[in-house]
Amino acid sequence: MSPLWTILLILVPLAGALLVIFGGDGKNAYRDALWASIASLVPAVMMLIRFDYTRAAEFQGAASWTWIEQLGLRLSIGTDSIALLLIALTVLLGPVCVLASKTAITKHRRMYYAWLLILQAAMVGVFASRDLLMFYICFEFTLLPMFVLIRMFGSTNRVAASTKFFLYTFTGSIIALAGLVYVVGFAADLNGAWSLDIGVLTAAAAQMSAGQQAMVLGALLAGFAVKVPLFPVHTWLPLAHTEAPTAGSVILAGVLLKLGTYGIYRFAIPMAPAAFTEYAPAIATLSIVGIIYAGLICWIQDDIKKLVAYSSVSHLGFCVLGLAALNAAGLSGSVLYMLSHGLSTGGLFLMIGFMYERYHTRDMRKVSGLASKMPVWAFFMVFFAMASVGLPGLNGFPSELLCLIGAFQADEAWTLAGEPGAAGVTLGPWYAAVAGLGMVIAAMYLLIMVGRICFGPLVEPEGHHAHAVLPDDLNTREIITLLPLAVGCLVFGFFPGLLLDAIHDPVNQTLELVRAGSAAAADTAGAFTQGVRP
Amino acid sequence: MIADLLTTPALSMSTDAASLSVGTGPSWVLLIPFLALLGAALCGVYAALGVKTKAPAWTIVALLAASFAATVAMWLGFDGNPYTVKAFDWIQVRWGEGTGAAAFIANFSFYVDTLTIYWMLFVTGLATLIALYASEYMSHDVGTGYSRFFAAFSLFVFSMACLVMGDNFIMLYLGWEGVGLCSYLLIGYFYKKPSAVAAAKKAFIVNRIGDLGLALGIYLIFVHFGTVEFAALFADAKLQGYLEAAKVGNFDDIPAMAKAIPLLLMVGAFGKSAQFPLYVWLPDAMEGPTPVSALIHAATMVTAGVYLIARTYPLFLTSEIALPIVAWIGTITALLAATIGMAQFDIKRIMAYSTVSQLGYMFAGLGVLTPTGAAYHTLTHAFFKALLFLCCGAVMHGFAGQLDLRKLSGLRKVPGWRWVTIGMLVGCLNLAGFPITAGYFSKDTILAEAFVTPGASVIGFLLLLTAGLTAYYTFRVFFRVFMGPVHYEAGEEGHDHEHHDDHAHDTPGHHGDHESEPHSVESEPASQGPEHTSSEEKHFAKHSPAPDKAKQHEFHPHAPGWAINAVLITLTALSVLASGLYFVGGNKDLHTKHYAGTMIAQSTAAYDTPYDKYAFKGEHAVAQPGVGPRGVIAEPLTMPIIGGDPHKMMYFVSGVIGLVGIALAWWLHLAGRTTAAECRMDKVARMFGPIPKWAEHKWYVDEFYHAVFRMPLVIVSHLSHWFDKLVIDGLVNLFGLLPRVLGGLIRPSQSGALQGYAAGMIGGAAVLLLVVLLIAARIGGAA
Repeated sequence: MSPLWTILLILVPLAGALLVIFGGDGKNAYRDALWASIASLVPAVMMLIRFDYTRAAEFQGAASWTWIEQLGLRLSIGTDSIALLLIALTVLLGPVCVLASKTAITKHRRMYYAWLLILQAAMVGVFASRDLLMFYICFEFTLLPMFVLIRMFGSTNRVAASTKFFLYTFTGSIIALAGLVYVVGFAADLNGAWSLDIGVLTAAAAQMSAGQQAMVLGALLAGFAVKVPLFPVHTWLPLAHTEAPTAGSVILAGVLLKLGTYGIYRFAIPMAPAAFTEYAPAIATLSIVGIIYAGLICWIQDDIKKLVAYSSVSHLGFCVLGLAALNAAGLSGSVLYMLSHGLSTGGLFLMIGFMYERYHTRDMRKVSGLASKMPVWAFFMVFFAMASVGLPGLNGFPSELLCLIGAFQADEAWTLAGEPGAAGVTLGPWYAAVAGLGMVIAAMYLLIMVGRICFGPLVEPEGHHAHAVLPDDLNTREIITLLPLAVGCLVFGFFPGLLLDAIHDPVNQTLELVRAGSAAAADTAGAFTQGVRP
Repeated sequence: MIADLLTTPALSMSTDAASLSVGTGPSWVLLIPFLALLGAALCGVYAALGVKTKAPAWTIVALLAASFAATVAMWLGFDGNPYTVKAFDWIQVRWGEGTGAAAFIANFSFYVDTLTIYWMLFVTGLATLIALYASEYMSHDVGTGYSRFFAAFSLFVFSMACLVMGDNFIMLYLGWEGVGLCSYLLIGYFYKKPSAVAAAKKAFIVNRIGDLGLALGIYLIFVHFGTVEFAALFADAKLQGYLEAAKVGNFDDIPAMAKAIPLLLMVGAFGKSAQFPLYVWLPDAMEGPTPVSALIHAATMVTAGVYLIARTYPLFLTSEIALPIVAWIGTITALLAATIGMAQFDIKRIMAYSTVSQLGYMFAGLGVLTPTGAAYHTLTHAFFKALLFLCCGAVMHGFAGQLDLRKLSGLRKVPGWRWVTIGMLVGCLNLAGFPITAGYFSKDTILAEAFVTPGASVIGFLLLLTAGLTAYYTFRVFFRVFMGPVHYEAGEEGHDHEHHDDHAHDTPGHHGDHESEPHSVESEPASQGPEHTSSEEKHFAKHSPAPDKAKQHEFHPHAPGWAINAVLITLTALSVLASGLYFVGGNKDLHTKHYAGTMIAQSTAAYDTPYDKYAFKGEHAVAQPGVGPRGVIAEPLTMPIIGGDPHKMMYFVSGVIGLVGIALAWWLHLAGRTTAAECRMDKVARMFGPIPKWAEHKWYVDEFYHAVFRMPLVIVSHLSHWFDKLVIDGLVNLFGLLPRVLGGLIRPSQSGALQGYAAGMIGGAAVLLLVVLLIAARIGGAA
């Protein structure tokens, strides 16, 4: 696979952003942004076609440019299959977000679409980067566009939401940076040469002592857990989600939260394998608390967008639980969750956005029973709710199933008995059973949402007038916006094998790394290796 | 002697079934589920195109009939060896290498053995018939609602096929949740009605509680046996070892983890099959259109729990407590639901409680070691209960949604209701266990086995009592609604201007203000044939007369048309013929005597009490000593109190009890009754004080659940919400104030916040560079 496609994937949206800014007035902005986001589908599809899935764990399409040679500073790109699929998801959401914004955004359109495209480039950059510098710059740079989207285009409480979003995640990532820098220093000490290459750093980090690993893990989790968000550092998310414009919520749920879980998968686990293994029960416990706690909060919300926002906290709990299981089922399920959650929750946010454009309220006490007026809208609402519930046959099910099986299996008792087991993690049946309550709670809050917003007698806000531009029910543009997500939900519900086969190699390689890493740490337990030079 | 006993045919049977080679079957078997899925997709297309004809109904009837034909072909072509048919790879995760290699494999693939065939025959057959019935019943909704109904209906059949035919537990789970979804969509079909929406939600959520048990059971199966595929599981050497241990009552050798599996699976079964304590959703599910109640909530979906336990019977045999729990839960459910059913006035609800109660019999049958009895009762119940529901539906359809047995009487004499009356009578006789009906034989199998299973005779007595109650409440309905003086009031449906509920032809113009003053008619409306009524309705619908004019117009019940009658006649015939299955299809080489027994004996559910394996005397097995999962039984078991072989005695005992129940219903509800509303029972009920009222209120179980489970959860949720807002977010805000205060010291104005953040971010990058440089310098110095 040529690195050209990856580079194009970053450059096309940036060029699109320039076109939007300088290419005329606000009317053209939507059109130009749409074309730019559709154009970036081409390199994404080329990447998906050209990628060699038999070597899925290798970073393909790699390229590297020297920046400051003496310091080992380089810009490197390359993707394994997991990064590739996350990039594909990001690029797929591009046109969806632009399409969803056509009538929702009426002011400052050039600014809006430009930031949207820049955000896409930054997210692709995060997944494609193979050196720490580029990763961190892109990781941080996703904050700014999102901040602007919420601050400028959000609803009433947008100032507080954007500020909290920015400060919270920024603080987290500064701490993560400290952890990464520590690893860089350790690697430099160990290798005697200076490198920011993620592969080199990962290999070196596994040599850290248990204590060092624990420290690094703590720092990395501080950054990534906020992004996920994991209980109890989640409070920025409901606020940001609720206030963000529809496209912002879709990106937030679809990709930005996955930066957290991806960060854990890519950095926290391989760099601190022994510590992660040791603290996996604690991490799993936090995610389970999040699943139940956020789920119950969802259940009593009147604000439909806040409900879906909290449901993200609950859902991502399953994703982290799968990571904490540290076995093939759990990790596969977790990666699958990263890919599928964006489709169903993104879909729900779109549905809410379309409803909001018509009624200008998110309060289910003021608007309900819409099925009789908007049957097509109600159909998609029920569909995405069912995907989110984890109904078999839709995308949520395989990922949730594997995360739970992973947690169930992750018990030394099974491993010792020679049964399919984990890498020495002790979670076990009780973790899965309590997390499984999340399945029941998800049904409770999503069905109460569907029951209120779609069914029952029609209730419309007082003084509601038909929207000037939009018809009662969804128009063709809105249906086209939804279709990629709905089709994705169905395809990955029935054919999750498409994804599972692709991620098999990297997942198993990561597991090998964890096994080797924990074993090494066990050997050198207590030994303080810093200062030891080869 | 002991050596003989150790090779009980019973347990070796399941071993045989499992060790049979599981080959690959013909791929046309895939047509059975996928024709139904195609039907659902086509109905979706009809809905999108806005088709305003009955095309969805005919499409579905044709496709389901084809699916049924394929099922029959599958049955006829079955040679005794189970086989699998794979559609495509579904969920596969592999890990490890060499000897450590393991995998989680769940393909989209189907497993066919006699149990599958047995279940699929009545599922697809009844689905076809009920789709035909619904084509007429739902005709008032022709248009989008009609397409929506048949799409969900067909999707249900697909899901049910996946549940019953799936070759692994994950497919079963797919079907399990799929039928739950369709049930949700169909209960909530009248989505503007808050009670229907609430009932749909309740059904889904209560089922999800059960599903969690099932899911955990599946995880445990995977972790313990390393597979979720039926063929591999039932051939598993470890499981065979457990069964060997169970055969001699040596349960201590079986690990607790394996014994926990059936306990988890049964929670799922209790949810789906509406058993105590998870039965509360089923009576509420009657909010759905009646064809749905007949197919999903009486004949097929609710038997999924019975299927699950039958399918995983070997797993249940490995625990010494699993089957007794199943038996007791079934018995408690049967009795409890019967007592509630006795006190209800809504005939559809009575049928719903009777379904819960009869499902209790099936579970009791599984629990007292007669999966044959359970499966046979499932089949006969599917026929007669579908028939009963469809008859109730015809009444509801014809009387504008009237279901109150105090407002309906003497329908037997109303013209056009002959087939409904006959169908209802046949259904009631079956349900009441009237001698020589199918329901009588199937119920007797379970009752008799309860008495020959050690330690289960109390269950037998409770089930006998329940049989008497069942006969009473069943004929209470029949004697009130179909016998006695002609007297009826129209229901209140068809007056909702927003939409038409269950009733077709009661357009708003037709009945005007009837809802405020239910109109009582005591004369025989002999002149009003169906043809007359419908033309009149067209007339009124067209002209929309003023309410006062309509008020003068008398209510005329609307007799069922050909589709409904044809289905009722077919089901009546099937219900009668089902008793013949007790005598035909037997294979003397096998231990069982009839069709159901033969089918079960060749499947993974193969287990019956050892007693009837040894001595055949004519038609019956005779209780003999033997070896069961509870150890060696030395004494032959006899019927308590009266003695004799329970299988034989039961014919007399249960027959008499059924007749007593019917006689009681006759005396209390028919003899001397002159109006629809009043009967002798009113006086008798007063003698019981408040108890009938409590029973009418379902023993306040819903209220209890609300107070004990829902309210605390609501409180906890609100507390969590405030905790999140005040404590967790409060701490964050407090922490967030710090930099603001510090920032305020340095930079008094808050303007240019955005630039500030951008600067902060660049500052972060600068910090990174700085640290990098410092470390680099250090390395340089050291090198």
